[in-house]
Amino acid sequence: MRADVDDAGLRVQMRFRGRERVIMVPQAHLDHFRGTARKILREPFTARPWRELRFFVLSGALECLALAFILATMGAGAFLAVTFLGLSIIAASVRGARGIGGWHRGLARRFLDEEIAEPDRFVARPGFLGWLQSAFRDRTGWRVIAYTFVKVPIVLFGAWFAFGTWLSAFRYLLYPLTGGDAASPHGFGVSAILPPGYLSVSDGGFLHTLFVFVSGVVLFFLAPWTMRVVIHVDRWLMRNLLAPDAVSERMRSLEAARAHTVDASAATLRRIERDLHDGTQAQLVALAMRLGQAKEKLAAGDVDVEGVRRLVDEAHSGAKEAIIELRDLARGIHPPVLDTGLEGALATLAARSALPAELTVTLNDRPTPAIEAIAYFCVAELLANVAQHAHALRATISCVQHGRWLRIAVRDDGRGGAQPSLVGSSSSGLSGLADRVQAVDGELHIVSPIGGPTVVNVDIPLHA
Amino acid sequence: MNDTIRVAVAEDSAILRDGLVQLLADRGFEIVAAVSDPAALEAAIDRDCPDVAVVDIRMPPTFTDEGLHAAIRLRERHPELGILLFSQYIETRYAAQLLARDAAGIGYLLKDRVADVSDFVDALVRVASGGTALDPEVIKQLVGASRRSESLSGLSARETQVLSLMAEGRSNSAIATSLVISEGAVEKHVANIFTKLDLPVSPGDHRRVLAVLRYLDS
Repeated sequence: MRADVDDAGLRVQMRFRGRERVIMVPQAHLDHFRGTARKILREPFTARPWRELRFFVLSGALECLALAFILATMGAGAFLAVTFLGLSIIAASVRGARGIGGWHRGLARRFLDEEIAEPDRFVARPGFLGWLQSAFRDRTGWRVIAYTFVKVPIVLFGAWFAFGTWLSAFRYLLYPLTGGDAASPHGFGVSAILPPGYLSVSDGGFLHTLFVFVSGVVLFFLAPWTMRVVIHVDRWLMRNLLAPDAVSERMRSLEAARAHTVDASAATLRRIERDLHDGTQAQLVALAMRLGQAKEKLAAGDVDVEGVRRLVDEAHSGAKEAIIELRDLARGIHPPVLDTGLEGALATLAARSALPAELTVTLNDRPTPAIEAIAYFCVAELLANVAQHAHALRATISCVQHGRWLRIAVRDDGRGGAQPSLVGSSSSGLSGLADRVQAVDGELHIVSPIGGPTVVNVDIPLHA
Repeated sequence: MNDTIRVAVAEDSAILRDGLVQLLADRGFEIVAAVSDPAALEAAIDRDCPDVAVVDIRMPPTFTDEGLHAAIRLRERHPELGILLFSQYIETRYAAQLLARDAAGIGYLLKDRVADVSDFVDALVRVASGGTALDPEVIKQLVGASRRSESLSGLSARETQVLSLMAEGRSNSAIATSLVISEGAVEKHVANIFTKLDLPVSPGDHRRVLAVLRYLDS
């Protein structure tokens, strides 16, 4: 048998049952083995296992206190549940659990570098009854209670599997120092299943002491990994029970969307007021002023016909301008063409577009009016953006139904580089569109590499 | 009759500004400046010292109450300057701020009033010569606001009517015409108002202004 190592890897030649055989181990596998071995040998001398060990001990202690607190308060609360006091104790228990969750998160942050998102602060409704109701409905608190109960088996298993391994490792390593007094040292936890005494060639003596010590060394290098397994499970549990849950996240995003919607509608009203004030109202005042002048001129003794004619001319053209402004404004509030359906409205938009726009609409069901309006204003805004910023020659618009969703895509052959933050303010432009779309749980995606083309996809539900 | 009155106009809507300039020029006023923002107005008044300024309340940059603030600043620098504030809406708060010190040479009118050209021109002349011109809408709001006030509760309905017309800046004869009563009756009501409001005896116009202020303060 011959073995040599070269650049290709390990090559072992041997005779087996009279035939020459060659076993090749590629270099990549060898590197992997070496890497793993190195990692195992180094691990106990890095900070991580020791921080995890400290975490396990501290969080185990906290767990004991938390369990005692919750069992005591819940027990007392349940015992007195028929009375008002019992309910109050249970509510206090839920409130207290919130604090315990905070400590757990703190330990995870301090020792595991695990950043678990803080849930929203507890906000109680006014009054004692309000507080009671809010505490009972506090999902965060109840989830900490659930965590405390689920953590019990983890702590027990961890103590047996990982903490026991650590203790055994130390005990075996220190065995030579204690002079090998005990005939055969017992391990802790999982190590107790196979203490070195069973494997030892002799009971006592130098060889036995050496054997126990070597077992300690082996456990010393294994212990970090047993703890890693336990911590891994705990981490997963904390992420799922101590961080804000999906319902809270959903609530948070809905609240944000609602705030955006309220702000956006207030901004829209302000814009309409501004347009009316600066446009139509001013036009009408000027109109009344000219007619008033003309009236007084006509009432005067010698009528200045030329002056009156000029005033009436101006009043006439002012009235026509006011009509046009009012019409544009009304269309901006709600385009009447939308009443006949999205397809016709989009066709009007495409036809009015400043640059050639090609439109495809595939709709089986009619969306609700709010969705139609959002789709219409999205396309209008996107086309206006293309005309203003993209330096494009043409645009294509598609509006296709996918099941219960509507996908609108506006594509142009312009120079690209569009970004939500760069186009328009928060209440208008692309980011304003995104807010509008998010308000109905839709999504807006912009793909706009420098040099183009730009594609903006808007997905909105058919029914808001 | 108006050929000596020099006017500055500050209004950000070009249509209205041009219309006002044309109307006032037609009526023989001398337009020394027609500007579209408060800064330009202040500069023009510091330079040309007109008799009266017509000021839009809502002007750039924020389109809220720039005109009002410009007016208050201008009053401090040029106490003799008449100021006619001009607005699409009447805000009681604005009127109160403007009249806080002195009602002489102050006007506050809805823009609509310009349609009745003669009334508008009369109001402008009154403000230019140190009188007051408050929009009936302002008076209505202030009367509404003062319903609960103690100091005016002693006045009879007729006296309240006379006082609110005084606040508009009208003379006794104009009040008499408006209420269809004799001028003597108006004088009697005015004297009663002065007594009931416990105003000191002093030159008539001054007492009038004080009565109006008391009325507006309430």
